[in-house]
Amino acid sequence: MSAKNKESAQPSENQSLSYWEYVTRQFKKNKRALYSLYAVIFLAFIAVFADFIANEKPIVAKYKGSVSFPVLKGYAVDLGLAQWPTHYQNIDWKKDIEYDFAIFPPIPYLPNNLDFACRFCDPLKDQGIKTRWRHWLGTDDIGRDVMAGMIHGTRIAFMVGIVAMFFACIIGLTLGSLAGFFGDSELKVSRIRLIITFIASFFAFFYAFYVRSYSISDAFSEGAGAVGWQLLVGLFIFFALIALANLLVIPLKKIPALAKKVTIPLDIIVTRLIEVVVSVPSLVLILAVIAVVEPSIFWVMAVIGLVRWTGIARFIRAELLRVRRLEYIEASTALGFSRMRAMFKHAIPNALSPVFITIAFGIASAILVESFLSFLGIGVPPEVITWGKLLNTARSAPAAWWMAVFPGFAIFITVTLFNLIGEGLTDALDPRLKQ
Amino acid sequence: MFGYIIKRILIFIPTLIVISIVIFMLSVVAPGDPVEKMLGATPEGDPIPAEAYNAERKKLGMDLPVFYFAMSSKAYPDTLYRIPKKAHRENLTRLINDYGNWPEVDGFYKTAKKLEGAIYDVEKDSVNPGALIKIKQNLSNLFIRYEDKDINKAFDKMLPHIESTPSTATLLPLYKETKTAYNTVKSKATTWKNYVPSFIWYGFNNQYHNWAKNFVRGDFGRSYEDKRPIADKVGDYMYWTMILSLISICLTYIMAVPLGVFSARKKGTKTDGVLTTILFLLYSLPSFWVATLLITFLCQPDYLDWFPPYGLGDIEGKGFFESLGIRAYHLVLPLFCWTYGSLAFLSRQMRGGMLSVLRQDYVRTARAKGLSENKVIWKHAFRNSLLPVITLFANVFPLMISGSIVIELIFTIPGMGRMLIEAIRYPDHPVVFTVVMLSALLTMVGYLVADILYALVDPRITFK
Repeated sequence: MSAKNKESAQPSENQSLSYWEYVTRQFKKNKRALYSLYAVIFLAFIAVFADFIANEKPIVAKYKGSVSFPVLKGYAVDLGLAQWPTHYQNIDWKKDIEYDFAIFPPIPYLPNNLDFACRFCDPLKDQGIKTRWRHWLGTDDIGRDVMAGMIHGTRIAFMVGIVAMFFACIIGLTLGSLAGFFGDSELKVSRIRLIITFIASFFAFFYAFYVRSYSISDAFSEGAGAVGWQLLVGLFIFFALIALANLLVIPLKKIPALAKKVTIPLDIIVTRLIEVVVSVPSLVLILAVIAVVEPSIFWVMAVIGLVRWTGIARFIRAELLRVRRLEYIEASTALGFSRMRAMFKHAIPNALSPVFITIAFGIASAILVESFLSFLGIGVPPEVITWGKLLNTARSAPAAWWMAVFPGFAIFITVTLFNLIGEGLTDALDPRLKQ
Repeated sequence: MFGYIIKRILIFIPTLIVISIVIFMLSVVAPGDPVEKMLGATPEGDPIPAEAYNAERKKLGMDLPVFYFAMSSKAYPDTLYRIPKKAHRENLTRLINDYGNWPEVDGFYKTAKKLEGAIYDVEKDSVNPGALIKIKQNLSNLFIRYEDKDINKAFDKMLPHIESTPSTATLLPLYKETKTAYNTVKSKATTWKNYVPSFIWYGFNNQYHNWAKNFVRGDFGRSYEDKRPIADKVGDYMYWTMILSLISICLTYIMAVPLGVFSARKKGTKTDGVLTTILFLLYSLPSFWVATLLITFLCQPDYLDWFPPYGLGDIEGKGFFESLGIRAYHLVLPLFCWTYGSLAFLSRQMRGGMLSVLRQDYVRTARAKGLSENKVIWKHAFRNSLLPVITLFANVFPLMISGSIVIELIFTIPGMGRMLIEAIRYPDHPVVFTVVMLSALLTMVGYLVADILYALVDPRITFK
């Protein structure tokens, strides 16, 4: 919202407050949203420290006189910095080692630990094990601890929500702000620049992606990091080649016929693109893409991001179209500042606020889609335990009520919390609704 | 008005074309060889005879180029699509990528094929089946391996078996020819050709063109799973999805509109607070969780055994009303799960719409004139707040399609959503992409209808 709106809504008391101070104060007034934010922070804490909350290894242990930190060492091993002694492989950390003393995490299980003695253990009934090793939320068909699965599932859910929205933001912000700021009539380039960029983008695509297509596809078998790197290199070559080609424009521009300006209707192009994406029900589109790629959590995140950018793009486009007619943008143009400065320094920061609303709702829907996909058993590899997968177990064993109740509740709560934050942001950012 | 509709449809067509291209490209990059899948080949099973393979390939139209044009490098031939097997084609592109000399690679492929054919001639004498199998295995590696060491390994492993008996030794000249062909590929490498772009125009007789043409005609191809035409299959499965969607949409509108108006009228009271909270919670409740909970607690003897957990019931040999009763009994839970989400969504929209109308000046005027509250609400505010809700029909539509997936799966109702998931699991790609294409089409028609409805009911909109 613009400064003008803010003042007209709350004329007397907020004169001295900056915009964000004002938003924070409005947000804090909404207790539901505020407590949701606290709860989400708590869940994020669980997601980050999942390994210390639910793990088969002790956090601290003294064994044969030396103190060690097995959970921490686990990280080092995963990074390839250390190795477990050979006799530590395939052991039961709880029974096979006689510690001098050991502090286990509150939930002494990993989501993949099998406890064959305790299959479908009811959380309310006697499980026949020591209270310390009790499965507080029961176990599934092969004795995996539900609580441990839920704690580690938090991490997957948050990762999917945040990374997917990150992708969505990159695409949505770029396209939406281009469309909103330039509109249909403001982007004028010379004919020659248009032609050269058009041709160059073919060549750039060829050298950046086509020639390197095998390096990119091979990277998929190496993991997300390799893929990201290959794509970055590709993008770099792509834009570098286009930039190089554009150097040609400078001498050619001297010819008047080529230097004539053409208007690019950027807004129409972007709006059409948005229409293409929203024309397919997003869940169906996600399923279709997931059907042709290898099961991996990275793909799930990328695909959700690729489909869900339209909301962000629409918001920022509409907001920029509104903002750019406001006086202060006109003023900055009148003072002789460049369009780019007006865009980055004034227009975008002012148009960004409604995007936060979309992000909050977007994270909620991304988490929902991911749990739905894993509930269907599509797209998420078998070894990854997620909330949706836990819930799916309940379908094959309806008697195990705890499999139906707890994971579903986790999904529901997390989605609701993000939705509540979204609502709170809507109220805080739009003073017109607060009358 | 007519002009507006025409214009709207004209915008509709390019969008549809872009969507169809995207979906078609997805189907092209889908893993697996469509021809082999259509013939029901498995990795463990017997290899498919070349004639049967080629015949099926022709029937499917897979012997045509994929698209109107292709962008590739100078190293690639414009005839690569003629190589029958997808796996071989992919392997050859790898070789081209490494060496950049198609004539030599092609020569290598052809002599290797000749060697393969010669093995079948030897087989008739059936001297040493064990050795022949080993030769075949290693030979087949030549078609699917591209790394130098793998190919050399295949050659080395083949040799002792070829030399083992006199009858297999007849293969030796061809073997040597193949090996020389491979060495020529390596020695005459022209890797630079990979860096020279080229553009090939194939014309209209291509796979995409035919696919789109057939799709418009209602021929969606055949399913891998049961080889039935997909159009028939869709017809069967569409029935229940349509029935359930229609009932659900009607229920949603009948309940949501009064609920929204009621809630807006009571704005600020406790009733409104409770109602808003309930609607918000319903909106956030994932339907797959609710469905699982309902099945767990209401459909089985351990807890409450009130409803059937799945299916539509058996109505064979029953009278009309009795069958109706059985169907209705089976559909209670699915319909509930299907409806509550959109109900909550629509009520919230209705409430919002009503509230914003109630803030308008003309409503204040109506009140100021001394009209009764009922008259203000129903005569002045209601009609105007209804406009956006009617058009939300378009948004409810995709919601229905996505909803059908989970409800039909959990309650085992033979509908489109269930068909989609089963096709993804199989994987039966033609069915998947047909369903995606159809749901895109339906959604777009929904938007189109909504736009036209909006223009029809709102006199403020001019058709420009």
